[in-house]
Amino acid sequence: MNVFEAVATRRTVRAFLDKPVDQAILRRVLERAQNAPSGGNTQPWNATVITGEPLAKLLADVAAILPEGPARHKPEYAIYPPELDGAYAERRKGVGEAMYAALEIPRENKMGRLAWFARNFQAFGAPVLMLIHTPRYMGRPQWSDIGMWLQTVCLLLREEGLDSCPQEAWAIYQEQIRAVVNIPEDHIFFCGMGVGWRDPDAPVNNFPVPRAPLDEVIRWEGF
Amino acid sequence: MSKATTTSEAVLTRRSIRSFSDKPVPLDLIKQVMDTARWTPSGCNFQPWEGAILTGEPLRQLQEKMRNTPPQNPQEYSWSDPEVLPECKARLSQVGADMYAAMSIERADKAARGDFMAQNLVSFGAPAVLMVYFPRVMGPPQWSDVGMWLQTIMLLFREQGLDTCPQEFLSLYAKLIKEFVGVSDETHIFFCGIAIGYRDETDPVNGFDRKREPLESKIQFLGFE
Repeated sequence: MNVFEAVATRRTVRAFLDKPVDQAILRRVLERAQNAPSGGNTQPWNATVITGEPLAKLLADVAAILPEGPARHKPEYAIYPPELDGAYAERRKGVGEAMYAALEIPRENKMGRLAWFARNFQAFGAPVLMLIHTPRYMGRPQWSDIGMWLQTVCLLLREEGLDSCPQEAWAIYQEQIRAVVNIPEDHIFFCGMGVGWRDPDAPVNNFPVPRAPLDEVIRWEGF
Repeated sequence: MSKATTTSEAVLTRRSIRSFSDKPVPLDLIKQVMDTARWTPSGCNFQPWEGAILTGEPLRQLQEKMRNTPPQNPQEYSWSDPEVLPECKARLSQVGADMYAAMSIERADKAARGDFMAQNLVSFGAPAVLMVYFPRVMGPPQWSDVGMWLQTIMLLFREQGLDTCPQEFLSLYAKLIKEFVGVSDETHIFFCGIAIGYRDETDPVNGFDRKREPLESKIQFLGFE
């Protein structure tokens, strides 16, 4: 698969098939992704990749405390910037409404939307969950390095016929994650990423995702 | 270098290029890459990235201004945080040592090293540069989104037979660059430049071996058969 096709067919998949992923494929992808660039060659990314037993335990542990709601949310960083202007709020709303329309869960159906959000903590049925963390002293440019690595992984997975779902939502349950997998105390937990085979028929994997037009993002000088 | 025909090939042949040929980059090709890169994911679909792409006379003018301006103080942001730990400092020194060795520049030859560092100002001869900035309110997770977008761009360029060099160095001239392209210093932070052009395949600086940590030190697998 070429890069264009990988970029164009990658989407955040929220319904996976019940089919395991061979560890050899994941190793191949992650070995290649080591070639992602980073400032000063820092390579700040770290991940724990779980499936089977430990994944089942994590999902069960989180399911048990879900009903307690926000009282149990303990993110180590702000997932959303506190102040955003209208354009960003619109972009966020745009993708949310497109998704719920595909799922046929209207705005009034608050319980339905909450139940759907809770599926984040089943990793949307993904057979593999990557848990991404980095030393706490890493600054903002190193977070960008982690992003370069993450997208490298997402695109290489596409090339293997696999799909992914980057999930910052897992940050709110980092305590439960730390109870199941050994993440060093001096590392901050960033995000989870579900990995598996896309359910091609699920409506949630097929709605059009809006993007800002190019001229809203880029200026051109001297061409 | 030839076009990458698969995603793996793009990932594996991408490297930071520090010597470009003077062959210009066609606008429609850049537009095609930037247009496709819009499909990069971001948390809440914020798409926090913004940028200006410069070539020709405006790029030359900006580079001239940078040459005549001292690096800004204080810095736009700190890139040196990881250097506090020896493991990261070692990786940084290693890549520097390998790079200068490839160019046959001695450690003691400060003048030659300084001359090479100054090549950052002209983006190593790249005919086009993407200047990357975004709203200051964006936090660490949005910086990660920007990173996803940058790597998408770099891999798409590889597919077109082009190469890149991400340059956090240019943040030393952040305010100057923002003023030049007409972006508010109050609302926006400048992150980096991405030099864009064709790789000079004969230059040894583009050929040294880049070290990476072994997978086992980065990734742990649990629960697999």
